[in-house]
Amino acid sequence: MAESAKPANDVPLETSIPAASLESILCTDELQRRPSRPHDYEKENCALVKLVSALADSPTTILQTLAETILDITQSDSAGLSLLTRDGKTPDVCGKRFYWPAIAGMWNPHVGGGTPRDFGPCGDVLDQNRTLLFRHFERRYPYLLPVIPAAEECLLVPFYVAGEAVGTIWAIMHSDRRRFDAEDNRVMASLGKFASSAYQALTHIEDLKFQVSEREKAEAEVRELARGLEAKIRRLVEANVVGIVMWNLEGAITGANEAFLRMVQYDREDLASGRVRSTDLTPAEWRSHDEQAVAELKATGIFQAFEKEYFRKDGSRVPVLLGGALFEGNRNEGVAFVLDLSEQKRVERALRRSESFLAESQRLSLTGSFSWKAATGEITWSEQLYRIYEFEIGVPVTLELIRTRVHPEDVTLLEKMVEQTRNGSNDFEWQYRLLMPDHSIKCMYAVAHATRDQDGQLEYIAAVQDVTARRLSEDALDKARLELAHVARVTSLGALTASIAHEVNQPLSGIVTNASACLHMLAADPPNVEGARETARRTIRDSNRASEVIGRLRALFSKKSSTSDSVDLNEAAREVIALSLSELQRNRVILRPELADDLPPITGDRVQLQQVILNLLRNASDALSVVEDRPRQLLVRTEPDEGNRVRLTVQDSGVGFDPQLADRLFEAFYSTKNDGMGMGLSVSRSIIESHHGRLWASLNNGPGATFSFSIPCRPAGAPDAHNLEARRPPAGRNAA
Amino acid sequence: MRKIMRAKHSLVSVVDDDESVRESLPDLLRELGFAVQAFSSAEEFLASNYVDKTNCLILDVAMPGMTGPDLQRELKLRRQEIPIVFITARKDETIRPRLIELGAVDCLFKPFSDTALLAALNVALRVN
Repeated sequence: MAESAKPANDVPLETSIPAASLESILCTDELQRRPSRPHDYEKENCALVKLVSALADSPTTILQTLAETILDITQSDSAGLSLLTRDGKTPDVCGKRFYWPAIAGMWNPHVGGGTPRDFGPCGDVLDQNRTLLFRHFERRYPYLLPVIPAAEECLLVPFYVAGEAVGTIWAIMHSDRRRFDAEDNRVMASLGKFASSAYQALTHIEDLKFQVSEREKAEAEVRELARGLEAKIRRLVEANVVGIVMWNLEGAITGANEAFLRMVQYDREDLASGRVRSTDLTPAEWRSHDEQAVAELKATGIFQAFEKEYFRKDGSRVPVLLGGALFEGNRNEGVAFVLDLSEQKRVERALRRSESFLAESQRLSLTGSFSWKAATGEITWSEQLYRIYEFEIGVPVTLELIRTRVHPEDVTLLEKMVEQTRNGSNDFEWQYRLLMPDHSIKCMYAVAHATRDQDGQLEYIAAVQDVTARRLSEDALDKARLELAHVARVTSLGALTASIAHEVNQPLSGIVTNASACLHMLAADPPNVEGARETARRTIRDSNRASEVIGRLRALFSKKSSTSDSVDLNEAAREVIALSLSELQRNRVILRPELADDLPPITGDRVQLQQVILNLLRNASDALSVVEDRPRQLLVRTEPDEGNRVRLTVQDSGVGFDPQLADRLFEAFYSTKNDGMGMGLSVSRSIIESHHGRLWASLNNGPGATFSFSIPCRPAGAPDAHNLEARRPPAGRNAA
Repeated sequence: MRKIMRAKHSLVSVVDDDESVRESLPDLLRELGFAVQAFSSAEEFLASNYVDKTNCLILDVAMPGMTGPDLQRELKLRRQEIPIVFITARKDETIRPRLIELGAVDCLFKPFSDTALLAALNVALRVN
């Protein structure tokens, strides 16, 4: 095999023998000088005809046929072709190497070998652009040395395509049994022309093959794509996520998936029978939309999605979104998707209903809402808020506009509030008044929640309620409560008469006895002045004590409006205990006070709270009065409670109460006592709740019950007692 | 004068939880010529050495712990026949006949005059 003719050996071998010159290996001129054999046109013609038909019949083997023909006609030992190539296979005029696609004769085993373009016999032929006759060319091109048998003579003839040399045909004699002559030269020139044709035919075939293969590849890709697309579309249709219908412009539905049939409540049988027609499915008022879609289809081949309704089989309607297109190349049939909008419509309806409910609720509850972006000052109001403020609906709302409505006395409050909210991000509530154009006053209660909008900016969402009517009724209620509380107190007064008499009589007794002793001391001889002074001092002390008792009673039973002061609950409890002590003792009740030392003061109405304590002590005393089998014990305890509150507990070992009636204990006019009005606990709870507190009852583990109340040291939202009152607009200002 | 003379031989014990009574009443009684001991509770009196020596007991009705009538009952049980003058700040007219029925000399409603007190003591000590 011609190893040296392989690409790896393109570079000439290093050899100690200097390479022979080109001239020294050429003997082309001898061709004309040598005696020539006679022309054999017949053989030549036969060969050419054979070649032409081979070219037509079997183009793939034409080169080999050509090589054999050369071998035959020139009667050489080896014959073949060298083609310029780029990749070792495909003919290419710009190739850097010749390869041997076909060889006949002795060199046949070297098919596929070749020589470099720029240093080899073929290259020399192309460079000189003529037929050359070589003798022992391996002398110049040592890489041909291994190609055996060695070439005695080699006749190389170039052939051309469009004037461009692209290859050679050659014949080799490996011995001197015969020498090439002018006839060989002529025949080879003729075969060279055929080689050119064959080369072009082959190139063309290669091109065709390439094109065919490219086309096949493209078609395969299209087929693959189509298969994929078809699968996807089939998936879409069969998934029944959306309705798919095939139709024609006459209004017939020619195909549909399950989703569509379900939507309109028809089945496959209906579809097959042709009963499902687009025109019949469409209510009259939607037909014009269909006509528009058809016009659009005719103009553009598609129609944009639009909403319409279909009749279901049962006559009800289903809202749908419909969009589609004509099939390609078809002016009458097409496909459409149909989306069931029932759920969407239901949600829309629910949303509309909810919005209308909200508006109606706002109207009914006299509650408006607004949002306020602190950074930009952008304010959005609900319609009801416009109505409350009596602004024309839709006018842009600004703080300035709001300020014109806020009661002049509350404007400072408004500005303070705006300042605070702008800086902080706390929720707030606020009570203020509006001064309306007709000089009536509206009381407003606002609750705002701080939040962040999409951009992270501070935004307040607020509800504003017109509480004028409620405020009026609250004031009336307060008044009624006050009256009731007074009634309850006076009722207590009756029950406490004996106790009160005791409390007053005790110091009076001291006064009288001391005064008597004093008189006796002064009447003695000598007068006991020092003793008299001491008894007089005690008389004054007991008088003050009596006075305190009277004052306490007057405070407790007077009828006056509630006040809000700082109250020491321990002190209040001690006073009530002092007033009740004799009553308790008469009932043989053992009272044990446990008043916490560290009790914080609370804000409230001292007298009202004392009334509650008195009421609880009286109830406990009553509950203990029938107990004979155990000590009549009563515990009064004060203590700090969770959440900055204080708690007062009255625990007795009395008869307790029926747990099933626990809820009724605090009802007005409910009493477990024969002589009770049933107002005590009801009024007490009312008082405690007006202090933002809670009053409750529970049964002890042992005998008896525990009544407790817990009230915040400061009412919710009230910075201090003074402000508590300030936050509340007086009823008298409600000119409305 | 005769009354006072008699009184000088008599020990009057005052039992009352009210401090002002324990201060003022003994002063007055001393001025009237009696020897006086004051106790803040019935229990204190019973525990003292004066039970046997007391000629008359001025006893508050309502007291925490043992009440006046309780003490009366206890003394009766112990066969201590001490004449008792009850005193009370609670003007309950029904209590007086009940206490007298139980053996009390009298029941005075606070505030009472020195005359009323002396009259009751006289009765008590004569009885004695």
